[in-house]
Amino acid sequence: MVDFSLTEADRRLVALAHRENEIGRKYARERDRDSENEPSRVRGIHPDVADLESPHDALEREKDGTSGLVIAEALMDMVSATDVNLRDTGEDAFGTWMLNDYGSKEQKAKYGHLRLAIAITEPSAGSDPANMRTNARYDPVTDEYVLNGEKVFISFFNKFDGAVTLMKGEPDGKGKTPFMTFMVTKDMPGVAEIPQFKKLGIRSHELSGFHLQDVRVPAIARLDADFGKTMSKFNHNRPLVAAHALAGARSMLDFTHAKLAEAGLKVDYAKGRSARGANEDRLVRMEALWEAAWGTVMRAKWLEHEMGSESHGYRVEASVAKALGGKVVRQITQGCLEILGPEALSEEYLAEKWFRDARIADIYEGAGEIQRILIARALLGYKNELN
Amino acid sequence: MISFELSEEQQIVRSTMAEFGRSVLAPQARRLDTDSRIDDGALAALWSTGIIQAQAGDEEAGSRSPVTNAIILEEIGAADATVAIAMASTMGFVQAIADQGSAGQRAGLLGHFTGATFQAAAVAMMEPRFGFDVSKFATVAARSGDDFIVRGTKAMVPLASRCSHFLVVAEADGAADAFIVPRDAAGVTIAQPKGALGLRALELAEVGFDHVKVPASMRLGEGNGSDIQRIIDSARVGISAVLAGLSRGVMDYVIPYTKERVVHGAPLAQKQAVAFNIADMHIDVEAMRWLNWRAAWELETRLPATKTAQLAYTYAGAQAMRIADDGLQAFGGHGFVKAHPLELWYRNARALSVLEGAAGV
Repeated sequence: MVDFSLTEADRRLVALAHRENEIGRKYARERDRDSENEPSRVRGIHPDVADLESPHDALEREKDGTSGLVIAEALMDMVSATDVNLRDTGEDAFGTWMLNDYGSKEQKAKYGHLRLAIAITEPSAGSDPANMRTNARYDPVTDEYVLNGEKVFISFFNKFDGAVTLMKGEPDGKGKTPFMTFMVTKDMPGVAEIPQFKKLGIRSHELSGFHLQDVRVPAIARLDADFGKTMSKFNHNRPLVAAHALAGARSMLDFTHAKLAEAGLKVDYAKGRSARGANEDRLVRMEALWEAAWGTVMRAKWLEHEMGSESHGYRVEASVAKALGGKVVRQITQGCLEILGPEALSEEYLAEKWFRDARIADIYEGAGEIQRILIARALLGYKNELN
Repeated sequence: MISFELSEEQQIVRSTMAEFGRSVLAPQARRLDTDSRIDDGALAALWSTGIIQAQAGDEEAGSRSPVTNAIILEEIGAADATVAIAMASTMGFVQAIADQGSAGQRAGLLGHFTGATFQAAAVAMMEPRFGFDVSKFATVAARSGDDFIVRGTKAMVPLASRCSHFLVVAEADGAADAFIVPRDAAGVTIAQPKGALGLRALELAEVGFDHVKVPASMRLGEGNGSDIQRIIDSARVGISAVLAGLSRGVMDYVIPYTKERVVHGAPLAQKQAVAFNIADMHIDVEAMRWLNWRAAWELETRLPATKTAQLAYTYAGAQAMRIADDGLQAFGGHGFVKAHPLELWYRNARALSVLEGAAGV
């Protein structure tokens, strides 16, 4: 049966995520201002939430009562604006996850205690990993690999111990260079960390990178990782990127409704468009965009719940959710600031921050253009004919 | 619990309607538009689906379901939005009586819509003036003893000349209310259709009510008060379902053409400017459908549906117009001429997305 109701567990979890977001909001401005400059200032669990159950733990505990674990996770994300993460517990060390998935016993013993990022992007290879230049050359004399190259936009590399790093190996007989994966740690000679990037928004999401210059690593540092399989996590993550961005857009819409209500305008959904003023009409249209995107996130997550996260059966729907979410949060945050007018430019409010934060959603985890290529290929029965 | 699972019955209805649309409705759509008339044979085919008749049944007993109706209207809309509204308009009337009519009204009227041949009726909502809005009706129903006297003109009434009854929405006692008026009541005049941009075969026409005497027994719900907003909400959901269908029809027509048509050495579909439009069509059709289902589900479960219905209607209206526009553009000159249905869909998209009250889900 088609059903859009939330279970009681869904509701409790959403409320919990919402509470956490509300608690964090008072630190949002400070994090926005300082995170790129004093990144190591706040680590661990913030005292304000130390005595509260983490929403993540609650999700694990309550999962049986939800509409589905991945559905509830997305519902929670849709009320979690990217203002502040009050629980810096290392769950964002995705490289460590990969080591756990693909590492040998020896590798886990050697690297398991480290917190590792994932390093893929390069200055000239973002959406197009085949174009990457970072490379590994095997030295049979010492049974080592020699790594050279540069990685950028690496989430939280500044606070981690290193990164699981994707690069190209040496050309085979046909001139093809295979992908290879290595554990790179900051203490290896020749690894040079670069400073944090200064960004338009999501400033508390710290990004940096590193250079590799003739970095010699032992053979054990090579991870036999299936990056294709890791990429399949994109199917899981893409709708969540949309969900997070929608949370920010939701904050913006709620703020706009509240401020316009104070100014005497309350949106009436009953009447038709001829009876609406310009601002009211735009708000209705922006609400429509938000709800439309909500539906595509739920659709992708319901399919994921039915098929299993590893399935590729919901990949088009995951791209649809990401593409639409990324688009509508741009339109909503731009539109709300226009309606709100000059007062909302002030840093006294978070509106200007939500406007800046939202912009990344149509870029990372596959830009809108990449999603459209994936969707169009599926619709048209194309592979590389469409690039 | 969040679910997009269709019941077995819904899956069957969906595939049956899709096949009906492909084999019966789509091939005749151009002819109906050219003739500006839905012929008796086409109406009989619509009637044979039994969908309108089902609206007269008991909702509690599962005879009708807004979600199922939304699925049906998308499928029919994908083949021909005009006949989708021909159905949905009468469905809107029948549902209003079944939902909100008194026992006497239900007993007296619903039987008209379970017979052997197509019987049209319509909610007469829109009015012939620029700036018309459903929040304000110029048509009035004034009390006169035990009766009401209805005065005003309604516009864009689907299949007006074929309707046995109108549900006239009018201001009464300071609020919007609805009155059941037989077409042959004294003072009712059905104007000749003037022709219209789109949905031409619906013979959209004005219906005049010149001091029409309506007994209190024909006030919808007989004085228990009627919920006009629910009728508006249902219409918005119905129209958004048809718009989702129309949009999908455009996309399905554009895909094979752009793969075949070679321009500057490569198929159109291999050019990002075209391929991205197609991707956006798919994104928006999906988004329209889920928002539409959600609004239909709210109607079905008797939750407040006004907001979601408005959003579904607003979103579908905007995106369907853009999809029809992009679809036509993809065909270039071929999209502008009547050899292909793009120009028809372009007209229908604009027409559909500004209607109010002309459908029920």
